Amino acid sequence: MKTRFLFPHWCRYLGYTLFVIHIPVVLFQKMLGFDTPGGTIDNGLFNPHHLFFMATTLLMAVGLFLAAFSKEKIEDEQISQLRLDSLQWAIYVNYVLLIVSLILSSDTEHILFLNLLIPLVFFIIRFQWKLFQNNRMLKRDGNA
Amino acid sequence: MKNNIRVERAIKNITQADLADLIGVSRQTINTIESNRYVPSTVLALKIARVFDKPVEQVFFLEDND
Repeated sequence: MKTRFLFPHWCRYLGYTLFVIHIPVVLFQKMLGFDTPGGTIDNGLFNPHHLFFMATTLLMAVGLFLAAFSKEKIEDEQISQLRLDSLQWAIYVNYVLLIVSLILSSDTEHILFLNLLIPLVFFIIRFQWKLFQNNRMLKRDGNA
Repeated sequence: MKNNIRVERAIKNITQADLADLIGVSRQTINTIESNRYVPSTVLALKIARVFDKPVEQVFFLEDND
């Protein structure tokens, strides 16, 4: 099976970098406190709060996206099988959490935000964990 | 599905890495196939059998529960 629509391998590191950069930016925003929920004045589409939110969220989403969908050093059918498996898990987990949070909470903004984050994060963790397990087993079995 | 890749490799005296290079997959893939954790596609199975100069049925076998 040919794997299509994947970014080159170096995009993984670019993705992680973008994601890591986004963390201090968001923390900085929280500390300075110019993140004023409920917006006192400006509720227009492109007010500073919205622009900042958009920039940081885009940074995070693009970073995770690149990290999730970049090629491995050696792409073969076993890797793409793992990738598909992990994607399936990520979608399951996402929808279970989405449904549960829809029932238990009415905070739609945060539900949306989680929904943006969970599939990619879960996918990356599950996929990398499986790769790690394969590598570990390869080391254990040696080249016997 | 079971296979005797490990035995065939021993006969031909090649490592997992050699076999992986010969058919253009990762060593992890050969390892997962040998330990029955991954069932290769028909294309890959045919390639592996070709390395050992044997028909596919002599390298891969069905089990009772397949």
